[in-house]
Amino acid sequence: MNASNLIVAGLAFSMSVSAFAAGTHGGGHGHGASIGEPGKASEASRTITVEMHDNYYEPEEIRVKPGETVRFVVQNKGNLVHEFNIGTPGMHEAHQKEMRMMVEHGVIQGNKLNHDMMNMDMGNGHSMKHDDPNSVLLEPGQSREVVWTFANQGNIEFACNVPGHYQSGMYGDVNFE
Amino acid sequence: MNIRLGAVVLCLLMPSLALAGEYDLTVDRVEIDTGDFVKQGIGYNGKSPGPVLRFKEGETVRINVTNNLDEMTSIHWHGLILPYQQDGVPGISFPGIKPGETFTYEFPIQQAGTYWFHSHSGFQEPDGAYGALVIEPEGREPFRYDREYVVQLTDKHPHSGDRIMRNLKMMPDYYNRKQQTVGEFFSDSSEQGFWNTVRDRLAWGDMRMMKADVEDLQGFTGLINGKGPEQNWTGLFEPGERIRMRFINSSAMTYFDVRIPGLDMTVVQADGNNVQPVTVDEFRIGVAETYDVIVRPRDEQAYTIFAESMGRSGYARATLAPEAGMEAAVPPLREPARLTMADMGNMHGMDHGNMDMGSSDDMAGMDHSSMAGMDHSGMSGMDHGSMMMDNQAQQDPFYARGSGLVPTAANGGKFLSYADLRAQNPLYEEREPTREIELRLTGNMERYSWSINGVKYEDADPIRLKYGERVRFKFVNETMMTHPMHLHGMWSILDVGAGQWNPIKHTINVNPGTTVYMETEVDEPGQWAFHCHLSYHAAAGMFRKVIVEGGPDSQQAKTEVMAEDGGEA
Repeated sequence: MNASNLIVAGLAFSMSVSAFAAGTHGGGHGHGASIGEPGKASEASRTITVEMHDNYYEPEEIRVKPGETVRFVVQNKGNLVHEFNIGTPGMHEAHQKEMRMMVEHGVIQGNKLNHDMMNMDMGNGHSMKHDDPNSVLLEPGQSREVVWTFANQGNIEFACNVPGHYQSGMYGDVNFE
Repeated sequence: MNIRLGAVVLCLLMPSLALAGEYDLTVDRVEIDTGDFVKQGIGYNGKSPGPVLRFKEGETVRINVTNNLDEMTSIHWHGLILPYQQDGVPGISFPGIKPGETFTYEFPIQQAGTYWFHSHSGFQEPDGAYGALVIEPEGREPFRYDREYVVQLTDKHPHSGDRIMRNLKMMPDYYNRKQQTVGEFFSDSSEQGFWNTVRDRLAWGDMRMMKADVEDLQGFTGLINGKGPEQNWTGLFEPGERIRMRFINSSAMTYFDVRIPGLDMTVVQADGNNVQPVTVDEFRIGVAETYDVIVRPRDEQAYTIFAESMGRSGYARATLAPEAGMEAAVPPLREPARLTMADMGNMHGMDHGNMDMGSSDDMAGMDHSSMAGMDHSGMSGMDHGSMMMDNQAQQDPFYARGSGLVPTAANGGKFLSYADLRAQNPLYEEREPTREIELRLTGNMERYSWSINGVKYEDADPIRLKYGERVRFKFVNETMMTHPMHLHGMWSILDVGAGQWNPIKHTINVNPGTTVYMETEVDEPGQWAFHCHLSYHAAAGMFRKVIVEGGPDSQQAKTEVMAEDGGEA
């Protein structure tokens, strides 16, 4: 990591902003619909445990009711870093570019995360913290919760956007009842 | 749930079916039609390529091979871990299969992935005796895809293998159509000055090599699944589907640069072992290698699968399409790469330090100014712009610095490097190797002689390994050609500088002027072949027998009873 790389990262990196903005140019997949919003654990109707393996989820499909709040317990049972991210296919595609940069800058190193790098101030208030409420990024063995209130409908997938993982099939479908 | 229960019951009722797969193969004279020419060849079950054999991890397979030829034959299961007597190399694993005889192979399937099989007798493999192996894992695949295709490449030549070998022995540049001409001498002279040009040509003459020796066998038609470019093998899809493509290079001599314009490809497996997925625009597949990629065509259109030979003397072409008969544009062949003096690095004792793979930072900081003295004439036709503007500004560490062979993606995007490969699930604990064995890859192009450490197979002692050791092999390529080195029976752990994540392969490309390391856990007793997988190089002597001493008593090699007949390539 040298100085010029850091500058590139600082300019190009704005995880939280673009992750949500991307839904509008998702190639028509998103239908412009909201993906929902962070929920309160006290309002969750149930808990779904999602295991992350190398490189797939168990389960690979979940069914939710329109507007339902779900508490996800996300467990990384693999040997590599994985993400659990709720979004439209278009959002995931946009987020993959950012994740690729995280790999190129050594933030994601196969089986571990460089936390110092993640917390570094990249200027303009940006960092590579990866702390959006619709996602978690976990090292092997880690477990964390995401509480999410879904919208009434939408083309929603949960996905791992670590480079190559989504492309090789690490995604799951959210189907509305 | 009911379906699963039903399957269990079915398995209980038919235990023999579940545990032992039985397969029949006949070895036959066949006709091969490439669209460009028709020739007599050898195939399996009446066709070349032979069938795709599908095994299941955990089963024991019995394969009855009936030899309908009037000569000896054999089948080698390329990349499979099995008892050495089942490995199918005449003179090393068994005596071979006589005309009219049926030989039954029987071995447990202990792995999953994409592999292939081929004759290991004479030049039957270049003559058409090859097929694909697909092994389903016991558990689930760690990827998702809606359909899959085997994409098996070969370089079909109108001449028989015996005739090609005779011609190469007589005149090593017999099939080299890209030699520099007198005209080129004068155009180079006007650009670089007469004496520089003379000096350059004299240097190459010293090495008994021609600059254009990227491929020493030209004049072939590239086939995909047995179909020539005009016959256009086509795989169907529905837009939005993920397709797993199992690329296998079954060529005698040809490396292919593979791309599908309009699609990126996520590489998920190399040589049968899953790798951490890496998305690329193009990749080079060496002879005998396999790469599995997942693609996702979203549009209702045809896509061309385009595989240019490394030396650009030919290509294979196929199509992915929503409907049979649809086609996409076929790109023109790019300009051929020309070897540079850098590709001769090792032969001149020049240390380019090109294989310092300990840290990727070193590569990122590559000093372009050091390339100023490079032989630019050798790079004619290369796109300097895209090479230098690569956003990582990195030289592929598996090519000599300044090499004329460094591949670039046609669309300016990502070209797969060995340096990108990481094991998805390492098979072995990382540990220090017990010793290092240096293997210099050697040859004299003018006599078409190929060897290891300057000694041909027939004059060489076997390499002796001890069961339980971990050996580090150091390949030093002192020739102008790329050699795909294949060790039978045990895995080749390619050193890409990633420690325990180093990828596990069965065939390791060693580019001209480079040194490449691999490590092998010596965990299979017996005796094995170890050779360059270019058919005519192996036959010329770039080949060794490996004997593993020790190990479980019952499985030790009975070297004295092994017949020494049969072809070795």
